[in-house]
Amino acid sequence: MTDALCLSAGDDVANLLGDVRAGDTIRLRPDGTTLVAAGDIPCHHKIALRALAPGAVVTRNGIAIGTATCAIAAGAHVHIHNLRSLRARPASQKDIRS
Amino acid sequence: MPSSIPQTSAPTALSGYRRGDGRIGCRAHLLVLNATGLTDRIARRIAAAVPGTVLTSYPYGMGVLGPDADAARRALRGLANHPNTGAVLLLSADRSRLDEVAEALDPARPFEALALDSADHDALRLTALGTAAAMRLRRAASRQARDAVTPAALCVALECGLSDPTSGIAANPLIGHVADRIVDAGGTVILGETLEWLGVEDQLARRARTPEIARRITEAVTRREALAVANGVDLLGLNPNRRNIEEGLTTIEEKASGSVAKSGSRPIEGVLDYAEAPPRPGLWLMDGPSYTPESVTGMVAAGAQVALFSTGSGNSYASALCPTLKISANARTVAALDTQIDIDASALMGGQDAAAMAGPVLDEIAAVFGGALTWGEVTDEGNEVISRYGEAL
Repeated sequence: MTDALCLSAGDDVANLLGDVRAGDTIRLRPDGTTLVAAGDIPCHHKIALRALAPGAVVTRNGIAIGTATCAIAAGAHVHIHNLRSLRARPASQKDIRS
Repeated sequence: MPSSIPQTSAPTALSGYRRGDGRIGCRAHLLVLNATGLTDRIARRIAAAVPGTVLTSYPYGMGVLGPDADAARRALRGLANHPNTGAVLLLSADRSRLDEVAEALDPARPFEALALDSADHDALRLTALGTAAAMRLRRAASRQARDAVTPAALCVALECGLSDPTSGIAANPLIGHVADRIVDAGGTVILGETLEWLGVEDQLARRARTPEIARRITEAVTRREALAVANGVDLLGLNPNRRNIEEGLTTIEEKASGSVAKSGSRPIEGVLDYAEAPPRPGLWLMDGPSYTPESVTGMVAAGAQVALFSTGSGNSYASALCPTLKISANARTVAALDTQIDIDASALMGGQDAAAMAGPVLDEIAAVFGGALTWGEVTDEGNEVISRYGEAL
């Protein structure tokens, strides 16, 4: 079992403390609840703690870190393929903000 | 205090070099300070010929304009007068640039100044004159001695480079606890890298001493954000950079939220310009670039005697003038970079209390003041890189 750190209650993502494979069980610190990885995720990367809709603002450690660019399943890897910054976007790229 | 952290005890006893302006150094380096590109090679030859010399070279000329001219003047004066500078050899193509730095020098600081016309514009003769001068100055600097000093004398630069998620989760909060203890003891800390306040600027602004300071914080961030947008730059890949992304950081807001943890929890006294010295103790922000060499040099020129520098996957940069303590909470990095990382904070990822580790970090700062070398000093990786804003005439 691999631990993941949920930095602030209510966060949408947690950081893994080891490499995980799809199907592995993850135990969240500090509250001890578990979830199952929906894919392979490298150590220290983020795992979704709940299903996130396209355009949803994603929070980590209590702050908005970007928006989901597509539907993200609970247990999925959250990274540059499905999360984009809310800020400093050239005008041509603002269309994916919703 | 906008903090749940209790007021802390002072750091352990320190010793350092008392300077004429009242500041305290942890080193008595001979600084070879070159102010123009034309004399860069001469300065490098002199520094190579005199062991133990710190070289800083500003590679541009007198045609830099506006904010560049101001920043260059502040940086050159700040480095010449730096508390870790025991003696200084100033070099320049033009005598006017020498005078500009020399007139601001602490009169107690041993110094010599040479321009190309000191040697009829002969580079080799200036090298010979400068080498002899540097040797005299090095001997003078070596005769300075340390005294007992108070922790209120501390001025510490807070930096992170090649961050990964362990930086924001563990190493930067550790630096934040140390920063709080230094501020509580009457000392000074400086946080730079304006772009890494982006997304958390409102949190920082709430800690500002006055509404005017809060406004400067948010304006500094939105100005850099607008600069990126105006230049068509997508921050993804630049900040966070490719290595940050490989290690698990995704957006600038995420990186920034970890980065500003280095500032701790105390009130923000103001926003400094690049290389501007803080006018009084406390926590200061510096509006500056995020690229590590430029960022660190801005804080060193402002007077930081020591830098606390967190890294995720390892960053070899160190200041030459300001001993730079590398801190990592990534166990793989600590194991792999055994001649780069000074402080192993990886136990924090296992749940150890960051506040409890602040004491050992302060002890390490005290050791450096007493003469202990950082890895950056042992490996001689140190350098200073003065930032630029725009075009020159």
